Amino acid sequence: MGNLRDKYCIVGVGETEYSRNSGRTQRALGVEALRAAMGDAGLGPQDVNGMLSYHSNDSVPSPVLAHDLGLRLDFYMDCSGGGSSIEALIGIAMGVIEAGMCHTVAIYRAMNGYTFARIGGTPTAGGRAPVTDVSGPALESVSYGLTSAAQSFHFSFTRHMYEYGTTNEQLAQVKVVHSRHASNNPKALYKQRVTVADVLNSRWIVKPGCHLLDCCVETDNATCIIVTTAERARHLRKRPIYIMSVAGRVSNPFTSHHYQMDPITRHAGYYASRILWRNAGVEPEDIQLTGAYDAFTFTPILMLEGFGFCQPGEGGAYVSSGIIELGGKRPNNTSGGQLCEGYTHGMNLVIENVRQLRHQADDSCPNWEKGEHTYDYSEGGCRQVKDVELAANLGWAMPATTSALVLRR
Amino acid sequence: MAEYKGMNIFVAPNDHEHLGLFKAARQHKLVVQKCADCGRLRGHPGRACPFCTSLNWDWQEVSGKGTIYSYEIVTQATRPAFRDWVPYPVVLVELDEQRQVPWQGGLEGHTVSLRMAGNLVKADNPLEREDEERVAIGQRVKVVFVDLDDELGLVQWALSGEPPEHTPWRAPV
Ligand SMILES: [Zn+2]
Repeated sequence: MGNLRDKYCIVGVGETEYSRNSGRTQRALGVEALRAAMGDAGLGPQDVNGMLSYHSNDSVPSPVLAHDLGLRLDFYMDCSGGGSSIEALIGIAMGVIEAGMCHTVAIYRAMNGYTFARIGGTPTAGGRAPVTDVSGPALESVSYGLTSAAQSFHFSFTRHMYEYGTTNEQLAQVKVVHSRHASNNPKALYKQRVTVADVLNSRWIVKPGCHLLDCCVETDNATCIIVTTAERARHLRKRPIYIMSVAGRVSNPFTSHHYQMDPITRHAGYYASRILWRNAGVEPEDIQLTGAYDAFTFTPILMLEGFGFCQPGEGGAYVSSGIIELGGKRPNNTSGGQLCEGYTHGMNLVIENVRQLRHQADDSCPNWEKGEHTYDYSEGGCRQVKDVELAANLGWAMPATTSALVLRR
Repeated sequence: MAEYKGMNIFVAPNDHEHLGLFKAARQHKLVVQKCADCGRLRGHPGRACPFCTSLNWDWQEVSGKGTIYSYEIVTQATRPAFRDWVPYPVVLVELDEQRQVPWQGGLEGHTVSLRMAGNLVKADNPLEREDEERVAIGQRVKVVFVDLDDELGLVQWALSGEPPEHTPWRAPV
């Protein structure tokens, strides 16, 4: 198979505000995000002829957004999916362009993740009704009150604590660091810096791995990322960000019943990393910025191990070492991620890395749009990673499924 | 259709794999599927054998004894049905019958064990959850059954009173 390294680029990114009360439909949100990404790239309605989206029966289909903005499509597909979809869909966009089916693809996710369909499964006043019928594979989980993401992932989390001595203080470090990043992100839903004690004193959701502040923040938002060829990218508004490699979705064996297989703490990054680093031609040590999916404080730990940024069992020490913080060797989720900026099923983590690689992180530096930053990471200040050239996104759907992406300036 | 904790437990008539498990549970028997070709047991109902792809299988009664391999304590229920049950334990039980089978000849160091998820409940009342302080990796458990209606039963787990398999471990929280 041909390697498509550096042949495709991300040329536009856009999003709505991150809120817990958008006050409008997923359709309205989606249109705004698509329009923002087109504006970012300098693309008009005639310039985008492909669309991809993913949803959990909580979104709006591509043709509706295309209609609202006057696009005519040569390719579109709306996929069922959650976390780790975006990296894989970027790969699919490259594939359909390579196949000659279209030339520019807008990928979006539109969700009222707080007011309509809450990812944790809590029923909402104006949203989707809770399901009370239990049948099929759900008989093995829902019957036992094993439904939400925090609950479904926990067998792996608990075993990681048992086998490797991973502590709640180490988990809390992920939230602490991401909250510091968010304090330098005017868009973030939660901008307040928190301490390890704040996390440990927040109420339990699932013991032993998830306090309230170990969990991401359910959010109303829409997000959009536009992919086209490197050739076209050179003529657009913003500096092209080159896609070096994509992996995904990749799974462990026994995916749907992963807890029957050992090592139970082995994330699917174990397999995806082989594809990712080979095709990118770089190694974890070369990467200067990560976007490891933070559905919970535990998920980056498992993925950073899986993708080879540290050894199995060392994830807790890695996230507590200062490496993942702005100013550290390899910051993670500099926007504050899904623990603080907002939960988007992973889109905002890729958007952030694109802005970082442009050297245009939209922080509080007066001239960030010109790429001028202070690199003063104190509260309310800069969040641009200095001279960043290479970034990786690590997507999570569950312990046994992943996607990933390497981007370069 | 049986009602349990406010949920409608519905095992479709064409879902032969789940039906056998839930019907046996009503007879207070724990059964798993046994591949008629390679002889492996599987811990979750399914049409084919994940070890050899065979479509042929029989129900095999097992002892219902095992060890807690992992666990969690849910303190915030997402389903209304479970709100009056928090904090409730969910355990991953490794059954005695088939442990650490090398996956595809030891491929990538994977092994597969016969593991089932369920709640840890009181041995004398399977509708009552076990206290969280008593839940630990390494503790020995036995199967117990909740009668859902005249036809269907639900598999649950209770501490068996046997000595633990190894020094029990629970997180310090
Ligand atoms: Zn077989």
